[in-house]
Amino acid sequence: MLELKHISKWYNVGGKPTFILKDINLKINDGEFVSIMGPSGSGKSTLLHIIGMLDDASEGEYNFMDQAVHTLREKQRSQLYKQHIGFVFQAYHLIDELTVYENIETPLIYQNIKSSERKAMVADILDRFQIVGKKDLFPTQLSGGQQQLVGIARALIAKPRLLLADEPTGNLNSRQGEEIMDLFKQLNKDGVTIIQVTHSEKNAGYGSHIINLLDGRVEQ
Amino acid sequence: MFKNYLKIAWRNLLKSKAYSAINILGLSVGMTVVVLIGLWIHDELTYNKCHDKYDLLGQVLITQTFNGEIGTGSAIAIPLADELRTKYGGDFDQVSLSSWNMERIVAYGDKKFTKEGMWVQPNFPDMLGLKMLAGSRSALKDPSVMILSASLAKSLFGKEDPMNKTIKINNKTVFTVGGVYEDMPHNTTLQDATFFGPWDNYFNSEPWIKNAVQNWGNHSWQLFVQMNKHADVSKVNAKIKDVPMQHLKASEGWDEHVLIHRMCDWHLYSKFKNGKIVGGRIQFVWLFGTIGFFVLLLACINFMNLGTARSEKRAKEVGIRKTIGSVRRQLIAQFLSESVLLALLSFIVAIILVQLSLPWFNKLADKDMSILWANPLFWLCCIAFTILTGLLAGSYPAFYLSSFQPIKVIKGTFKASRFSSVPRKILVVVQFTVSVMLIIGTIVVFRQIQYAKNRPVGYTREGLFQVSINTPDIYGHYDILRSDLLKTGVVANMSESSSPVTAVWSNQIGFDWEGKDPNATPLLGTIAVTHDFGKTIGWKIIRGRDFSREFGTDSLALLLNESAVKLTGIKEPVGKVIKWNGKAYTVIGIVKDMVMQSPYEPVQPTLFTLNYDWTSIITVKINPETSMSRALAMVEPVFKKYNPGSPFDYKFIDQEYARKFESEERIGKLASFFAVLAIFISCLGIFGLASFVAEQRTKEIGVRKVLGATIFNIWQLLSKDFLLLVTIAFIIATPLAYLFMHNWLKDYEYRTILSWWIFAVSCAGALLITIATVSYQAIRAALNNPVKSLRSE
Repeated sequence: MLELKHISKWYNVGGKPTFILKDINLKINDGEFVSIMGPSGSGKSTLLHIIGMLDDASEGEYNFMDQAVHTLREKQRSQLYKQHIGFVFQAYHLIDELTVYENIETPLIYQNIKSSERKAMVADILDRFQIVGKKDLFPTQLSGGQQQLVGIARALIAKPRLLLADEPTGNLNSRQGEEIMDLFKQLNKDGVTIIQVTHSEKNAGYGSHIINLLDGRVEQ
Repeated sequence: MFKNYLKIAWRNLLKSKAYSAINILGLSVGMTVVVLIGLWIHDELTYNKCHDKYDLLGQVLITQTFNGEIGTGSAIAIPLADELRTKYGGDFDQVSLSSWNMERIVAYGDKKFTKEGMWVQPNFPDMLGLKMLAGSRSALKDPSVMILSASLAKSLFGKEDPMNKTIKINNKTVFTVGGVYEDMPHNTTLQDATFFGPWDNYFNSEPWIKNAVQNWGNHSWQLFVQMNKHADVSKVNAKIKDVPMQHLKASEGWDEHVLIHRMCDWHLYSKFKNGKIVGGRIQFVWLFGTIGFFVLLLACINFMNLGTARSEKRAKEVGIRKTIGSVRRQLIAQFLSESVLLALLSFIVAIILVQLSLPWFNKLADKDMSILWANPLFWLCCIAFTILTGLLAGSYPAFYLSSFQPIKVIKGTFKASRFSSVPRKILVVVQFTVSVMLIIGTIVVFRQIQYAKNRPVGYTREGLFQVSINTPDIYGHYDILRSDLLKTGVVANMSESSSPVTAVWSNQIGFDWEGKDPNATPLLGTIAVTHDFGKTIGWKIIRGRDFSREFGTDSLALLLNESAVKLTGIKEPVGKVIKWNGKAYTVIGIVKDMVMQSPYEPVQPTLFTLNYDWTSIITVKINPETSMSRALAMVEPVFKKYNPGSPFDYKFIDQEYARKFESEERIGKLASFFAVLAIFISCLGIFGLASFVAEQRTKEIGVRKVLGATIFNIWQLLSKDFLLLVTIAFIIATPLAYLFMHNWLKDYEYRTILSWWIFAVSCAGALLITIATVSYQAIRAALNNPVKSLRSE
C-alpha cells in the first residue's frame, strides 16, 4: 500500500541540521495493523504525519498506492489523502462548535458528497458506533472515550483505506482504551489498514507488526 | 457547504458574545455613519433635481470689479432680460425676470402670515416645472393673479377651495388665487418661495422699479433662463459675456460681464473667484465622503484586528479542518462568509441606528432626509456595500487564518510568531492617526468659531430686536411711533434704517472726493439711518460727532466707518466733502468699524446717511432692566396700532448675529460627531485587542506575579505597547492635521492661529482615552490569581 525510501527529516537549529528522522525505509501492505513505538522525541509522530501527508520529508521518496507523493502538488496530495486516509488524534481534535453529527459529516462536505447521501452515511456510522443518541450533543458534553469514538467515526466516514492514529488512547482511562483498541482490531479485520503510534506495549500488541523508533531510526 | 459555514459562524457568534458584540457594534456604528453620510451626499447631489428642466435651467450672474476685487453676484439690471430674449432668442427658450425672494404679509380675512415669495414673469412656473394641484402654470399672465404653495394655501384657507379666493398682500394689493402648486422639496434652492406673484404688478407698484426699465446700472433683480436644448453653455457664455458693456461704455472704469450659472451648479458649485467657479459646497461632499470612508475603514480595521488576534483560538479548527480534507480555498470561503454574516447583522443594527438618529442628524445637518425605503437602488447599494465591507474586513483574517499549517496546530507547537502582530499594530496606528486628526480638526473648527464670536462687533447686541417695515401704513409715523414706544417705559430707544444691523443691503458707486484716484470706482456700503440709530445700537463715534437734530444741515452729512476712511485715504476726513452722484455731503464723524456682515471677513467700507424715506427696518432697544418677554408684550399693541395689517414679527439681533455662525457650527458639530464615533470605534478596537493580549499573556502574567510583580508592573507591561502605538499615530497625525486645518483656515480672513496647545491637548486626550481603555483589561489581568492561570497550563 505504501512505501518509504530513505526518508529523512531535519530542522536547522542554529545553522546545524537536527535530525528527527534519518533514512527510514518502510513498506506497509494492505490490511496490516502496524504499531509505531518508541520513547518521547524518537520521531514517531513526525513519521505518522509524513505518512499522512500532513508534513513533508526533507529527503527521500514516498509512494502511496502507486503514486509518488513527494512529487505531487498540494492540491493533488490533499485530494489523495481526503479519499484514502483517516486521522485519529490523541486529543480527539473535534470542532467544538459543531455537534457530533456535524463533526462526522464535515469530511463528506469537503468531498462534495450530496446531502442525501451524507445523511445516509452518517446515520449508518452513528448506528454502527452506537452513538445515535449523542448525535445532537457538542463535543464538550461527551466523555473522553465518547469523544474519541466520534473522532474515529469521523476518520472512517469517508471509508478510507488507511487509518492513522496518534496515541488514540493517550487521554483515556484503561477501560475506554481497551474498547477503542478492540474497535481498531475489528476495523482491521474488516479490511482497513491501520498505523498507530503508541507508548503502550499492550496496545501495540493489538497490531500485527511493531516498528520501534529510536532517535529517528528504525530499530530492527 | 455554505449552510455549514453559516452554522459555524452563527455558533461562533453566540459562543464569544463579548467579541461578537464589539465586532458588530463597531461595524454597525461605522456603517451608520456611512449610511448617514451617504444619505447626506445623496441629498446634496440631488439638489434641485426635482425640476424637470434641471439640465436646461440657469441663472444669469454678473461679474464686476470694484475696489480692485472681482466679485460675482446674481443682481442684474432689468434691460438685460429683453436683450437676451430678443437678440439671443435662439439660445434661450425662456427668460424670466424675478424679484428676490422677499417677505410679504399674505392675508385672507383675519388670517395674516409673513411669508417669502417671488415676483416673476408668467413663464417662470413653467420653467420650474411646478407641479400644479389646482389652476395652471400660466396663471400669472393675469397681473392680478397669484399662485400659492400647497402649505401656504392650507394655512390660509384650511379646507376651503383656494381657487379664485381673494388675498391681500402687505395690506395693500389685492390678488386672486389662480393656482396651487405642490411644495417644492427641501433640497431645492427655491424651497422658501411659498408664492409666486406676477412681475408686471410688482413692476408697476413702485416708481423706482418702473424707472429702472432702461437703466443698465441699477442691479436689483434676478434673471433666470431656460437654455435651448441645442445650446452649448460655454459658447453662449462667450457670446453674451460683454452684453452689458455695450450699454455701459459711458460710465468710466466700470467693468461688468454676464455668465450663465447652470442649475446643476447652483448648489454645489457656487463659489466664484475672478468670475470663474472655484468650488462651493462640493468640498463638503468630498470632506464628508472622505470622513465616512475613514470611519468605515476604522471599523473594518477593528474587525481585521480582532479576527487575527483570535487566530490562536481558531487555529485548532483550521488545523482539524485541513486534516480532514479542507483545502485553503474552502477555509477562506468559510471565514469570508463568517465576516459577511457579521457585516449583514451589523447592517441591520446600522439601519436601526440610522432610523433612530435621523431626526437628530437632520437637525444637525439642517436637512429633511429619511431612509429611502422604497428606492431599490438604495438597498442595492447598501447590500453591495455591506457585502463588500464584509469581504474587506474579513479578507485579512481569512487569508491569515487559512495559511496555518495544520501540523503545527495539531502538534500544539503553534504560536503566533513575534511578527504576526505587526500588521495589527500598523492598523491600530492608522486608526489612531485618523482619530487624532479628527480631534485636532474639531478643536480647530470650534476655536475658529469662538475666535470669530469673540470679535468685538462695535455695537451692543443685547436687548435689540428688529421689525420690518412691511406695509405702507407704518410709513410717516416715525415720531409718533417712537414716542408711543418710549412711553411704554420698556423701550430705551427706537430707530429706522435701510439695512438691519446684521447686514448691508446696499452697495453703491459714484463717489468722488478731493485726491481720489480718477481711475478708481470705489464701492461703498450705503446705509440710510435716522437720528436715533447710533444711540439705539450703541455704536462708537471715534472722531467728530453723531447725527444730531440740532443741525438742520445733517441731511447732507455723512458718517464713515474706519474702513471707509482707510479706503478713501483722506487724512482728516471730518469736515471734508464727499460727492455722491454729484451731490456734496460733508463728513461729520467717523464710526468705529462694526461687524455687520461676515464675522470672518474684514469690515466693509461703509457710509451712513440721514434719510427718513429710505428705510425698511425698525430697530428697538429694550431697557436693560426689563425682561424681553414683558417688553414684547408691552410693545406689541403699539405696533398693532400703527401697522394693523401686519402680524407682529420681530427678530432678535443677537439671534440674527448668531446665524452667521450656523454654517461653521454645523461643520463643527458634524466633525465632532464623527470624531467621537471614530474614537469610540478605535477604543472598541483596542479594548478588544487588549483583552486578547491579556488572555494570551495569562501565563506570563502569572509567572511574573509569582516572581513578585505588582499590579502596577503588570499594568505598565500591558499598556506600554498601546501607548507607544498611539504616540506614533500622533506623530503622523500632527503634520497632516496641521496641513488640512491650515488650508481650511486660509479661507477665512479673520482667523485663529493653530497654536501648539491644540495638538498637545489632542495628544493628551488620545493617550488618556487609550490608558482608560487598556487599563480595564490590564488591571483585570493583573488581579487574576496566578495559581489559577498557571494550573490551567
